[in-house]
Amino acid sequence: MLLQVLLSGLAIGAVYGLMAMAFAIVFYVTRVINFATGQLLMVSIMITAALSRAGLPDIVSVVVGVLASTVAGVLIYLLAVRPVLRFDRFSFAWLVSTLGVAIVLQSLAAIIWGPTSRGFPALLNRDNLHIGGAGISVQELLTIIVAIVVLVGFELVRRRTLFGKLGQAISADPEMASAIGARVTGFAIAAFAIGGLLAGVAGILVGPITFSNPYLGDTYGIFGFIALMIGGIERPAAAMGAGSCSASCPSVRTRSSARRRPTGSRSSSSWPCC
Amino acid sequence: MSAESTTPVIAPALRLEGLYAGYGRFDVLHDIALHVERGEAVALLGPNGAGKTTLLRAIMGMVKQRRGVIEVAGTDVSRLPTHRIARGLVGIVPEGRRLFLGQSVEDNLRLGGLHLRHDHARTAQLLRSVFDLFPVVERYRARPATALSGGEQQMVAIGRMMMSDPELMLLDEPSLGLAPLAIQSMADALLALRERGRSILLVEQRVDLALQVCDRIYVLSGGRIVEQGAADDIDGRGRALIDAYLG
Repeated sequence: MLLQVLLSGLAIGAVYGLMAMAFAIVFYVTRVINFATGQLLMVSIMITAALSRAGLPDIVSVVVGVLASTVAGVLIYLLAVRPVLRFDRFSFAWLVSTLGVAIVLQSLAAIIWGPTSRGFPALLNRDNLHIGGAGISVQELLTIIVAIVVLVGFELVRRRTLFGKLGQAISADPEMASAIGARVTGFAIAAFAIGGLLAGVAGILVGPITFSNPYLGDTYGIFGFIALMIGGIERPAAAMGAGSCSASCPSVRTRSSARRRPTGSRSSSSWPCC
Repeated sequence: MSAESTTPVIAPALRLEGLYAGYGRFDVLHDIALHVERGEAVALLGPNGAGKTTLLRAIMGMVKQRRGVIEVAGTDVSRLPTHRIARGLVGIVPEGRRLFLGQSVEDNLRLGGLHLRHDHARTAQLLRSVFDLFPVVERYRARPATALSGGEQQMVAIGRMMMSDPELMLLDEPSLGLAPLAIQSMADALLALRERGRSILLVEQRVDLALQVCDRIYVLSGGRIVEQGAADDIDGRGRALIDAYLG
């Protein structure tokens, strides 16, 4: 039972962790919190689900969905963040502009696909594995693996490469970083693209266990933001860890309530957001 | 064709002509004409608010010029973004050093040579030249930049600029806030750079330091060049005049 809760908690936490990482990488380079990160997750889910319903192969739908959230991340920087930072580098106007984008994306999705929930392709959620008596779907296992790979990859780049150190330098003093030859705008675009990519990947990983819904971004955005706050806004790795830990408690709660649920109710998922 | 006609004309390290620049709608610099020959060290003196830092920022592309010419080693940099200017054309030691304090001394230096990062041999050579000039920096290479004294941080800042191997070196009040001993070490380092044939534009308030290090001086006041001449020609009267301008 404990192993089951741990595995489920880790899988959920990995998604929150990826979301926290999406927030943190953007902040790490630009000192901006992209409050539309949750909506980027929603974008990848909605587009993947729509393409899948249209009859495209799952892999194509997934790739286009993740690409869409990546491009949306870049567009958020170019249209909602860069103009306000150009006007005043020290202003917090990005707080309002990114929240505005979140509302726009959510509303657009509701207009295009309707406000109700629809199905999402099962992807790898059909297959289950048993580890020490606990069951875990391949999708959940993949979620944990992806989170670990992203975490280790990010820390390696940050600590071991000049590229990672340059990110830190840009974050600390963008003007001086520019005076040593760094393309600050290019880095910011890359950070928003990676943020969008991670949110999109998180969407694909969580999609099969939830529905495609235009308002899904709020939930995961908030959970990711909480993980970021617990772990530390300047420590993406800690934010990822905080995401995993913070998910274990809701997982235990969900398990407990699942045992009290009447027979026949939907109880196969351990994901608290479902 | 004669030998004379085939000799290429070497452009000065820096040429400013009729330069106007400022912030918002207001010009800080008016009709600036200045040049730094290759291998020459030139001082820019002036009181607070004269526009010295703005002039350096305009050369780096951090303040957009409204009119005039900014050429570095024959390249027009007036329309180039800062990061392009910083890649081998101009290196700067800004006022207050502005090291990346969260990083080690060596990381700060390597970041200075960003555009040469794929040329490992050149990077190693430049790093060696920094360590030769500042042995103390080599000793503290693994330490965080925050753990160094003001004078040592200034050495790292100069080293970071050297790592980009620029055509022109800009230094903005490098003696500011340093102890007398550290100021002398810094002056020695600047003299060593000049002997290595580097082109330097030094902004200073300390006239004695500027005269010790530089070949020529310009005096900036109210955003205009008001005096210029060879450092060797500055006699007692000229010195008094400069002191008067510096307030």
